[in-house]
Amino acid sequence: MGNKPVDVLQGTLDMLILKAVSLGPLHGYGVLLRIQQISKDRLEIQQGSLYPALYRLQHQGWIASEWGESENKRKAKYYRLTAAGKRKLLNETEKWNRMADVIAGILSTKREEV
Amino acid sequence: MSSWSRIRSWVRATIRRPEMEQEMDTELQFHMEAYATDLVRSGVPHEEAMRCSRLEFGGVERTKEECRGARGVGFIETFLQDLKYGARTLRKSPGFTIIAALTLALGIGANTAIFSLVDGILLRPLPYSNPEQLVSVKGTYPKGGFVAMREHMHTMDVAAYSEDHEFNLTGYGEAVRLPGTLVSAEMFSMLGARPELGQTFYPGEDGAGQDNFVVLSHALWQQHFAGDRAIIGRVIELEGVGRQVVGVMPADFRFPSARTALWVPLHNDARNTAAYWAGDFMPVIGRLHAGTKLEQARAEIKMFQSRVTKMFPWPMPAKWNADVSVVPLRDGMVADVRGRLLILLGAVVLVLLIACANVANLTLSRATTREKEIAIRSALGAGRKRIATQLLTESILLAGFGGVLGLVFAKGGLWLLKATLPTDMPRLMDVRLDWRVLVFTAGLAILTGFFFGLAPALQSSRVAPVESLKSAGRGAAISVSQRLRSTLVVAEVAFAVMLVLSAGLLIRSFWAISHTNPGFKSEHLLTARIAPNESFCEEAGRCLAFYRSVVNQAQASPGFAGAALVNTLPLGGRITKRNVDLEEHIAAPGENAPLFWLDVVTPNYFRVMGISALAGREFKDADEAGSTVAVVTASTARRYWPGENAIGKHMRLLKEKEWRTVVGVIPDVRAFDIQTSEPEWIEGTVYVPYNSSATLEDGRVPAEMTIAVRTNLDAAQVESTLRRIVSGLNQEVPISEMKTMEKVVSEAVATPASTTSLFATFASLALVLGMIGIYGVLAFLVSKRTREIGIRVALGARRQDLLWLVMREGAKFSFAGIALGLAGALVVTRLLASELYGVSPMDAATYFSVTGAMAAVTLLACYVPTRRAMRVDPLTALRED
Repeated sequence: MGNKPVDVLQGTLDMLILKAVSLGPLHGYGVLLRIQQISKDRLEIQQGSLYPALYRLQHQGWIASEWGESENKRKAKYYRLTAAGKRKLLNETEKWNRMADVIAGILSTKREEV
Repeated sequence: MSSWSRIRSWVRATIRRPEMEQEMDTELQFHMEAYATDLVRSGVPHEEAMRCSRLEFGGVERTKEECRGARGVGFIETFLQDLKYGARTLRKSPGFTIIAALTLALGIGANTAIFSLVDGILLRPLPYSNPEQLVSVKGTYPKGGFVAMREHMHTMDVAAYSEDHEFNLTGYGEAVRLPGTLVSAEMFSMLGARPELGQTFYPGEDGAGQDNFVVLSHALWQQHFAGDRAIIGRVIELEGVGRQVVGVMPADFRFPSARTALWVPLHNDARNTAAYWAGDFMPVIGRLHAGTKLEQARAEIKMFQSRVTKMFPWPMPAKWNADVSVVPLRDGMVADVRGRLLILLGAVVLVLLIACANVANLTLSRATTREKEIAIRSALGAGRKRIATQLLTESILLAGFGGVLGLVFAKGGLWLLKATLPTDMPRLMDVRLDWRVLVFTAGLAILTGFFFGLAPALQSSRVAPVESLKSAGRGAAISVSQRLRSTLVVAEVAFAVMLVLSAGLLIRSFWAISHTNPGFKSEHLLTARIAPNESFCEEAGRCLAFYRSVVNQAQASPGFAGAALVNTLPLGGRITKRNVDLEEHIAAPGENAPLFWLDVVTPNYFRVMGISALAGREFKDADEAGSTVAVVTASTARRYWPGENAIGKHMRLLKEKEWRTVVGVIPDVRAFDIQTSEPEWIEGTVYVPYNSSATLEDGRVPAEMTIAVRTNLDAAQVESTLRRIVSGLNQEVPISEMKTMEKVVSEAVATPASTTSLFATFASLALVLGMIGIYGVLAFLVSKRTREIGIRVALGARRQDLLWLVMREGAKFSFAGIALGLAGALVVTRLLASELYGVSPMDAATYFSVTGAMAAVTLLACYVPTRRAMRVDPLTALRED
């Protein structure tokens, strides 16, 4: 089962996008590529679902966008993290880690520990 | 920050919509091309890469839609889009649109018109300063009682008024009689009403000797004084008394009613005990002091009431003003019409509900034929919510058309209402269509659209696309939709039954009212009021001589079959009250003598009015010379001398020296209103001949008399003859209220007449809409079952079978609706009880005939669809689709 890509957990796509653009401005396709790259292709993202998420994050003010030029000289829209987005990402990371600890703790509980 | 950026992005997205759309396209396009390029680079052939990229991206339109939603403009975006789409759809089926919009417009228009009445009369604050402080005292007080109240009350300022007085204005062209109101000096300032010109009254100007002033209404000032600004300070002759004009009120000041042409101060004179304590019993209004609660004023007026009773120079009955209270002025003014207006409002709401049900049905049948369109939209990725919203928007758009058209109807309707409703309805003049009514109409339209649009919208959004696309328009939804449609039609018929039944009861009641025998013959009878100044009749001889000449000359006029005088014309709206002593019923000391209605008449009055004595005789010419005789009504004779012959009994007006002999008994005359001969506080009616002993409470003979002329001539001829006679005798005596007796009677029934005609209108609307509803559902049913009917015919079904097949469906709706409607009517008509006369709210005959009529009418609505079913040609039917 190890290498088969898993679907993105509901609600985590936003976090992944914030993380991806925190490493430098990206266009939409770039976001997709970066997530696949840093997850070593272990995550499967429905391509179309990326854009509503990007629009939602921008609407909430966590990322901002501007038009730029892509690697192959095409007009593309680049997204970057805003200050509010930075705080949001920190927050979410913190929350995720705590949650992951708790869940892991629960799942690794053995009979005799109860 | 976050919310600010959200608003900014929202505003930007809304304003720069086309640009954003373009950018979204570019962005998504870029994504797919970039991905395809990468695929090509990894060795996939170009064509294959493009296909793959599109496939893996997923639905582009759906993504765009979600992006729009994510940007927070989804709702505006969607709304605009739906509006545009809705308008296009409605334009494509003009027949449906016109019928639906017209139906809604009728409902909304009727509601708007009635609401404008309710708003203008019941809801709108009174047009005076700080109207919430204004109150009305429940109870009436004579001058002395009012003056005491003015001195004693600490919680509020009070003012008294007495409407329905009339004043002769002489010296300005032909003498005219003007309706005026007596007011206490502080009336205007208390209401906060400012004059258009000059002043109003100063405190103290209602005391005897300081009261020779008058304030004119705008209308009087314009009509009789040509709007002359120099009128202020001038003295005009009213009832032979010179009064200085101090002010003119603006046109929109109509207190106590629009009838009032002038205001004159009360004449408070404590030395005239009779007038001060027993004269006019007047309504009192007040203004609460700042910070005072209604309850405090109520408590104080109760205390005052117990005190004022002891101030009278004679004992007052304990029940006088026993339930005295203080209510907000507006409630006090409109108390009489509130019930009727609310009943009318209830009726139009029913009409609107029926209209809604009808349009919902139309929309449903359309939705069924639109199933394919909706299925396609759903297959293209439109969610259920999205489809429902779109259909709802379309409905609201339709209701919007209905609302706009309804406003036009309302404008006409209001004009009609003002013409139909009795003119004495308080505040009717203030009613108009303004922004409050517009807001109501807009709200109503939106609500209406929601109401009739919701069911079809939910219904349609449930369409299963595959199912529907496969089976050419006969999807599974039909059966559900059919149930909904049936429910709507049944409800529609039920509402219509309730309205028609109410109208039926009112019509029966009105028929009873207009066919009551009033006790006199109103045909070929003309009446006019003749009124010399009060002072003219101080000397009884002069007054009697004047009137004798009037009657003699009138009798002698060509074409006049008879002329007579009476002080209070039946149904004329006036009463002369007088305490009497009756043989065998002499009041004990400290008790009040019975209070009678005194009719003072010339000897041939009964003959002219077509009233003939039940027993004894009518008056003779000789009685006018001063015989001490009286005639009583049958109910009076029964009350005081039950089982005995009233003829020969004796009675006299209080303080009269000689006893009068009862010489005749006449049948009761509907004099107070069309239903009763006397108000409940009157204990009998007596007629006495017009001579010097026929005195009123103030000891004078009546000065104001009404002449009744029996003639075949037309009103104009009679009027000119009468004017010639009267002005020939005395230039200063005006003639007013020239009317046929039939007009007097019809004015007396104006209120039930208007209620009845309004209800009849609403009921016919409801009936027509209900018929259309049944017709629509059946027609739809038949068209949907054409195939089935064709098969039946092919298998040998006879015409009767088909008839039965369709009629059975129709009869089901009709009878269910009628049964429900009757049940509802049992409850609803009870609210009508106060408007009914001579018919019970449960009147069996009305219930039976309405049931029969409704059954007939609803089955008639089945006729066309049934015929269509019977004409189905099996070959054509089976070849359909």
